[in-house]
Amino acid sequence: MSVHFITANRLPQLLHLLRQRGELHAPLRGADGVVRFAPLAAGTLPELDALRTLLPPKIYLLPPRETILTYRDDTNYQEPQVTTFPLILFGLHPCDLAGIGYLDRIFLGEDPDPVYAARRSSLTLIGTNCTPDQFCSCHLQPSPLSASHDLFLQRIDDGFAVSSGSPGGDELLETLAELIEERELAADDTRRFFGSQLKQPPQSELDPYLLDWQELAGHCLGCGACSICCPTCYCFDVLEFGGLDGRSAERLRHWDNCLFKSHAQVAGGASFQKDRAQRFRYRYRHKYRGFGQLKGIPSCVGCGRCREACLAGLDLRPLAERLERGVS
Amino acid sequence: MKRLRLAIAGLTACSGCQLSLLNCEAELPQLIEVVDFHYFPMACSPAVLEGEYDAALVEGCLSMPHENVLLLSLRKRSRLLIAIGTCAAWGGVAALRNGESRKELLQATHGSGRISSSGYSPQPLHAFVKVDAVISGCPPEKEELLRLLAGLLRGALPNPISYPVCTDCRMRENLCLLTEQSRLCLGALTLGGCGARCPSMGVGCEGCRGPVPEANLNEALDICQQKGYDRQTVIDRLRRFCPEWKS
Repeated sequence: MSVHFITANRLPQLLHLLRQRGELHAPLRGADGVVRFAPLAAGTLPELDALRTLLPPKIYLLPPRETILTYRDDTNYQEPQVTTFPLILFGLHPCDLAGIGYLDRIFLGEDPDPVYAARRSSLTLIGTNCTPDQFCSCHLQPSPLSASHDLFLQRIDDGFAVSSGSPGGDELLETLAELIEERELAADDTRRFFGSQLKQPPQSELDPYLLDWQELAGHCLGCGACSICCPTCYCFDVLEFGGLDGRSAERLRHWDNCLFKSHAQVAGGASFQKDRAQRFRYRYRHKYRGFGQLKGIPSCVGCGRCREACLAGLDLRPLAERLERGVS
Repeated sequence: MKRLRLAIAGLTACSGCQLSLLNCEAELPQLIEVVDFHYFPMACSPAVLEGEYDAALVEGCLSMPHENVLLLSLRKRSRLLIAIGTCAAWGGVAALRNGESRKELLQATHGSGRISSSGYSPQPLHAFVKVDAVISGCPPEKEELLRLLAGLLRGALPNPISYPVCTDCRMRENLCLLTEQSRLCLGALTLGGCGARCPSMGVGCEGCRGPVPEANLNEALDICQQKGYDRQTVIDRLRRFCPEWKS
């Protein structure tokens, strides 16, 4: 099979060319050892061997806190002006690409979110493959999600087999022509973890009294790390804060977590999920069975962040193996 | 919009919470426009309680009988009473030694002469009066205080926080000091909203904002124990700001 190929020693040139098309961000390891997405300065190479950044790339599309409406008594409510600029994310792993694909379904579906849409249209996604570790589960679970990307760099031998996944990617390939050679390869596409339609037997409703919910709840600290680090957790709360002038206000959207006491709480203090056991069942349903328009579509992309981030070492995967696939 | 008529009082505490409000220098001119700081002895004199208040903001815990008189008067005169800071909410550092004999504490502090004190073991506001809302912290964040006032202007109480410091810390993409560096950090048990100030500077959370709702003490103690901190050490640390933690 003939593939486009870029040798590894041309990586700096590749990054240089990309940087001319927008701000380039990639995984970088900080002095504290934490890997984060950050601007990639000229002369710096991305951390391609690190399996996961602490926060997923959703931070570029759905920041932890953002203004969604502003109010003034003379102009009433107005949507904020979102200023975007071309942003290229380099070195995304298939799980993170699949995560963005899932968020696209949520925020670009029937009633698109204007702020998300503006940010998404300015993003160029360049993926690369990786080798799963003990926290990853992309290779263990079939998923109907596909890894959406503009370019994908499959690491092989002394470089990268490059493929395009979008019209924008095709165009980008042309601008990289000087770096690309053609090679005969039997390219092993590790994106296979995503894209295999999950065929499931009809599921019975999850048992609300399952002891596992209690067991998980008994260990959970309620810190929200699992959803903060999750590439597909998008639950948010909306709060409005008045200005000190008494005439203006700001409506904020900020990340929420289904394990927080406040998550399913409504006016008057009543809650639809009174205790953590109930909240775990809810979380499980969303992650492994989906609901609403995405019912039947699991949103776990197997990146392993929640397992690695959980202080209590909690892991929903064994439960999913049992409840979804009958593996005990 | 009607100006908000406030009473701001300090009981047994360091005045740091009231100072946090006065430190909002950029916003003070705007605040004066919309808030009538009618009773605020730390900032304006003379200060005499008079008539009714939209809200009373109270810093500190109670440890002297005259403080009870003041607190009851504030409660009677105010539509809303809000505990400001960890001392008012939980007792705070003044209540650090509440389990010990008052007599011995007095002797240790003032010597063995004849000392008369009508003081008692420091207690949070809710031990005596109905508290409508709590802004915790040692001191509270400026932003929380400003939001409180902006909300009160509209007759709204602050939205209570229900997540721990760990949440703030993860959002800032910090290294976990407890799990990665085996340093004692109380972030998992402590009320968030501070933006993980201390862990972000490489200092373990001291628990200054008091307990997070639904804190999972046993699990956190187990995790700390695995990192080399026995249960009593962690409990003692927690109690520096909130004596209500029980082992």
